[in-house]
Amino acid sequence: MKKSTPPHLPLRFFRWFCHPKLRDSIEGDLMELYVERKNKSGKLKADLKFIGDVVLLFRPSIIRSAEGYQTLNTYGMLKNYFKISWRNLVKQKMYSSIKIGGFAVGVAACLLIALFIKDELLYDKHYSSQLYRVLGVITEEGNIKKGLAFPAPMAAALKEDFAEVEEAGRYNNSELFGAGPNQVRPDGVEDNAYDEGFVYFDQALLNMLNLKFIQGNPKTALLQPRAIVITKSKADKYFPNTDAVGKLLVVNNRAEQPYTIGGVIEDFKPTSHIQFDFLIGTEGLQFWEGEQKTWNASNYATYIKVQEGVDVAALEAKLSKGIIEKYFIPNMIKDGMPQTEIDKVFKEKNAHLELQPLSKVHLYSSDIDDNLVHGDIRMVWLFGGIALFVLLIAVINFVNLSTAKSANRAKEIGLRKAVGSLRSNIVSQFLLESVMFSLISFLIGLAMAGLLLPYFNMISGKSIVLPWTEVWFGPSLLAFALGVGVLAGIYPSLYLSAFKPIQVLKGNLTRGAKSSPLRSTLVVFQFSTSIILIVGTLVIYRQMNFILNKKVGYDKEQVLLLQGTNTLGGQVVTFAEELRALPQVVEVTTGDYLPVRGSKRNGNNFWNEGREDIDPGVSSQFWRVDPFYVNALGLKLVEGRNFSRELASDSSAIIINQKMAKQLGGNMLGKRIYNYASLWTVVGIVEDFHFESLREDIQPLGMVLGVEASVLAVKLQSGNMSESIQILTSVWNKFAPHQPIRYSFLDERYAAMYADVQRMGRIFTSFATLAIVVACLGLFALSAFMVEQRSKEISVRLILGATVNNVFQMLTWNFLKLVVVAFILAVPLAWYLMTKWLEDYAFRTDISWDVFAITGFTAIMIALLTISYQSIKAAMMNPVNSLRSE
Amino acid sequence: MTQMKKYQLGEFEEIVMLTVGVLYGEAYGVSIKKEIESRLKRGVSVGALQTALKRLEDKGYLKSHEGKVTEERAGRPKKYFQITAYGKKAMEYTKSTRDELWSAIPKVALDVKFS
Repeated sequence: MKKSTPPHLPLRFFRWFCHPKLRDSIEGDLMELYVERKNKSGKLKADLKFIGDVVLLFRPSIIRSAEGYQTLNTYGMLKNYFKISWRNLVKQKMYSSIKIGGFAVGVAACLLIALFIKDELLYDKHYSSQLYRVLGVITEEGNIKKGLAFPAPMAAALKEDFAEVEEAGRYNNSELFGAGPNQVRPDGVEDNAYDEGFVYFDQALLNMLNLKFIQGNPKTALLQPRAIVITKSKADKYFPNTDAVGKLLVVNNRAEQPYTIGGVIEDFKPTSHIQFDFLIGTEGLQFWEGEQKTWNASNYATYIKVQEGVDVAALEAKLSKGIIEKYFIPNMIKDGMPQTEIDKVFKEKNAHLELQPLSKVHLYSSDIDDNLVHGDIRMVWLFGGIALFVLLIAVINFVNLSTAKSANRAKEIGLRKAVGSLRSNIVSQFLLESVMFSLISFLIGLAMAGLLLPYFNMISGKSIVLPWTEVWFGPSLLAFALGVGVLAGIYPSLYLSAFKPIQVLKGNLTRGAKSSPLRSTLVVFQFSTSIILIVGTLVIYRQMNFILNKKVGYDKEQVLLLQGTNTLGGQVVTFAEELRALPQVVEVTTGDYLPVRGSKRNGNNFWNEGREDIDPGVSSQFWRVDPFYVNALGLKLVEGRNFSRELASDSSAIIINQKMAKQLGGNMLGKRIYNYASLWTVVGIVEDFHFESLREDIQPLGMVLGVEASVLAVKLQSGNMSESIQILTSVWNKFAPHQPIRYSFLDERYAAMYADVQRMGRIFTSFATLAIVVACLGLFALSAFMVEQRSKEISVRLILGATVNNVFQMLTWNFLKLVVVAFILAVPLAWYLMTKWLEDYAFRTDISWDVFAITGFTAIMIALLTISYQSIKAAMMNPVNSLRSE
Repeated sequence: MTQMKKYQLGEFEEIVMLTVGVLYGEAYGVSIKKEIESRLKRGVSVGALQTALKRLEDKGYLKSHEGKVTEERAGRPKKYFQITAYGKKAMEYTKSTRDELWSAIPKVALDVKFS
């Protein structure tokens, strides 16, 4: 007989889906029929019928069950484990909700922080890894100072002199030259708008960053003189629905010198450290004659792109040496600086160049004064640490409760063992249970994170969204949930599976009435963490309070800052006069140089007259103000007098602060001092005031007369503020009808300098609250358990005459001891950590003993309240209830 | 009512049971299929038949044993079916309920119908 085989694929399919018990006999039937049909009506028909039969066989009773054939038994066991876990969960609602709730809180916190950290680490990763930012590093008085500002020709020199440097580009964001905020309008429009983010930018830097152009040619956008590239959001604002390229922008009303738009780029990503909106080309630009050639003024941040595969460490050293020897030193010699001074700068102070990869700019620049907003790697660590702690506390709660409730499961375990369960079975049972809890907690935690996200974004200053749509999110979350579940389940499962069946079934289990050392340790750990966080919160708030209430040496209340006055041009003086005449106004002054961070600054060196070639000079601030500045801001003159408008000689007068006077040798009144500009006569000395953040020491400062003003500071009478502002507005509208009035308040700007401290405070408060809530949940459940375990003992005590008070004390003291131990452990650590934190501030509050007293009191009160609910309940109960059920 | 539930037998199941009975000793997949097809003049798919057989076996109305291996079956054994005592009870119950119903029909109804 001819060998006949039915079609291969359907047969294999059948073998795959068919229940193994039925497979052989049915396959036999199919074969028999196939052979018969083939002999009768040919192969094709037989094949088709065969396929039809297989398809019709594909029905539930024939298909193998998903339970599997071989593993039927384990599956049943697993089902049982789930059932028991679920019953336990439902039976003990309070414990379960505390277990799951605590876990969920931990998960939510962890998740949010993980997203935060991810966002922080993502900064600048979209730029080429061949890009570096050049840093100037110098050691002064033991402090390493890093800066970004370099002379204009350095970028070109870097590219020309070093083959390893493929490209070099610069930007200049100094307000001294008109970068930063400005009044702007498209040519032909009358009304000015205020916008920030102006910067002078090289075409080369544009190329290096590889910015995406929406309109215009990326290669030539900034190559024309007075060209400007704007971001898409600004293009949409000023030139909606049209091609912006070639249009003209007027900045600060200088209609005779508009900028031509050379291109529109996409907005910088939120994860870019460079965030500008108006990039003004540097082609043909010079701020003064020869500015682009001089090595004497450092105003440009310089970026380089290195050739692929270059050893950057070696290049760094080579660059540094080359630039210093070829340009800096000859320039200093030309300026007449003595060799000893030059040696001092480069040998003693070790001035050199460093290269910082762009990916490190965001997180590793807290010591660099670069006028950019960036993160801090320490914050990332802190956040990560807190996340880990919160999760750890939640896991600990889980472990704690699982072992504490072990007595309730002891009989079950004993019985399981007696009927033949291996220890490994029990271990896997409890691991499974803990994974189940973990999965439920993750679901709840995820929902919580979603709800809390807006709040979290507010305190962290980010705009994070949950990345549902990203492929890695689901699986990594699941993996994490399983991991944490297993981690939290290991100890309880080993502990529970170690019960000896005979003892347990006889009822001989030590029921954990005394808290086990492990459990105590865990409670201590939780409370220590909470206490550290409370201390942290208190200290941060005290420092914030200290900052806000510190006498900073000037009067920051009632000072209104009127911005954008530079567009008034010559009228600004008349405008100021008119304001000064108002009864609501005490004083008006130019406010470009303000004693808050982010105002105009101008660094300069000063020497005593005739010493400029001998002394190193005092590096200080050099401000142009008007005669009203001292009064308007309430600065105190300790010696000499204020500027006077009557004295023509005051155009070369200077008022210095005490620091400057001290550094120049003291007794400076009437003496003459020199900077690169000219010779000044000291007419007054003001008391030192904090014009930078309190993190820094007060720098030397010299103020001379000048008129140009883009900000007016108006000191108002105290009284009806809104009325005063209305009057100011009406005066403003008379002078500048096409520019809306824009103002802020000095005290707000001052507070804004410490926004990060406030943020830190809020973060600490949130997490301290979180930690305390989780710790309390744990304590609450633990005390409930303890009361339950000792209910018979308590009943006997009550019958024998113990008062409610006695019982309460007995139960409470057990836990309070632990809190006290936690307090003793946490205090030194908290003190150390917060002292470290405060060291960031040159001016800081002390950590006084009452911080710890308050913390200790709070912790004990919280613990007491948590425990007392259960204790009182136990002490008040009717003893009969628990005794009769013997 | 519980009785009825206990002996529930679908129409096709009943046919399969009866055929197994008819084929006494020789009832296996293919032979049952052929027998039904030739007697009742209706097509039976292997799937439908095997499902019914499995269900009947699960209910305990049929029992099976494996027979000898033959060549035309590519070395697969035949699975022979036999009616169990319980199965017989179920068949009898079904038959008696039918008979009861038959006898309960008024003569008139049938006369009218078939006249």
